Amino acid sequence: MNPDLNMNPHDDGRTDPYSPELGEITTEESDSENVTKTGTTTVGLATDEGVVIATDRRASLGGRFVSNKNVVKVEEIHPTAAMTLVGSVGGAQSFIRTLRSEASLYETRRDEPMSINALATLAGNFARGGPFFAIHPVLGGVDDEGTHVYTIDPAGGVMEDDYAVTGSGMQVAYGTIEGEYDPDMSVEDARELATKAVQAASERDTGSGNGLVIAEITDEGIEIEEFDALEDAL
Amino acid sequence: MQGNQQQQAYDRGITIFSPDGRLYQVEYAREAVKRGSASVGVRTEEGVVLAADRQTRSPLIERDSIEKTHKIDDHIAIASAGHVADARKLIDFARRRAQVERLRYDQPMGVEPLTKAITDTIQDFTQTGGARPFGVALIVGGMEDGEPRLFETDPSGTPYEWQALAVGGGREEIQTYFEDNYEDGLTLEQGVGLALEGLAEPDDGGLNPDGVDLQTVDEEGVLGVSQDVIEDHLEERDLLGGDDE
Repeated sequence: MNPDLNMNPHDDGRTDPYSPELGEITTEESDSENVTKTGTTTVGLATDEGVVIATDRRASLGGRFVSNKNVVKVEEIHPTAAMTLVGSVGGAQSFIRTLRSEASLYETRRDEPMSINALATLAGNFARGGPFFAIHPVLGGVDDEGTHVYTIDPAGGVMEDDYAVTGSGMQVAYGTIEGEYDPDMSVEDARELATKAVQAASERDTGSGNGLVIAEITDEGIEIEEFDALEDAL
Repeated sequence: MQGNQQQQAYDRGITIFSPDGRLYQVEYAREAVKRGSASVGVRTEEGVVLAADRQTRSPLIERDSIEKTHKIDDHIAIASAGHVADARKLIDFARRRAQVERLRYDQPMGVEPLTKAITDTIQDFTQTGGARPFGVALIVGGMEDGEPRLFETDPSGTPYEWQALAVGGGREEIQTYFEDNYEDGLTLEQGVGLALEGLAEPDDGGLNPDGVDLQTVDEEGVLGVSQDVIEDHLEERDLLGGDDE
């Protein structure tokens, strides 16, 4: 199990480079209707100065019942990176816990933080390793190379872009952002655009709503704020 | 008599400390390294130089079959001294570990983390029953985030970082030479020269270019230096030795 491949004198030294160093990714999670899902609209926008991530706050059962109205769907996983919870809540939470501890272990051992590309690759490996891991997060972060937004799909696909949306409200939110995004925009303008995108999705997508959470990531760190009304964030 | 019997018992199992806190098998492994021919490493501003003495015991041996410097990945190489067979196991471990870094994180392996992965493995073999320590010392050199790095591993599994070092037979003499002659700000070319001077230090007879295995690692990658270039360097320094006897 140890991906550091320690060649133990009494085993054959073969290990799985795709598995976490601590614990393992379960592959038995089923995609049943009783599982709490985030439904969700999560938006990530990269600007020169930082990354803005915005999400709604609704969790639902089978897409027909609002099971929680105060979910914070964006979490810090690294000193300058955050990830959104999209899909099965249990799957997304354990995914985030695993990535957070891997990033921490990496940084403690090597005395330098993981790059965002390394973090995205690792996340893709873990998602790939668990075929029923029903998640589809946005990963945003800042490193020596600059600002980054990635999506990690349930089959382990890792794609970088200037902006990305995942969740059941993605088509509505993408419509809002399309044509409005500008790579040179300020963090303030990016906040506004991300808010509008989540607002539009909350109006039209039954899986999204109940306010807004915004995370702002710069090379200084991460700030996460919650808002009951979407207007308050503007 | 009794003391002698005790010592015999303490040096049989590697997992056993002697009453004065020594691990005899690890110390014997260090002796095995001293019996090997020397390998040296020099860190310069531009990259690192790894060189090894591979004088043969018979003119009939094919030189290229004696491997003392090894490419690990595009940006890291290792020179060894001591038991060749033991070195090969660690070399293969290092090559696999370097690829795991690419699979896992999509990035080249750092020289320091690779060295520590190797030394953690070496340490396993000093504390596990039924195992024997590695009778080999390695010089791990390469580029990490554009910076040249140079490390040593010893049979106890302790990592050290160096500007210039020697392992194997004649270590003390070569190390003293480096201590007297190493300067900051060397070019890679000057580093090759210093490495060859160090390697030639213990033997008054000079070096035969065929008996030197030399690789450099810089921004361009790992490069094996040809016998002609080595010969030019040796000639320039009046260190060119005759054919092997």
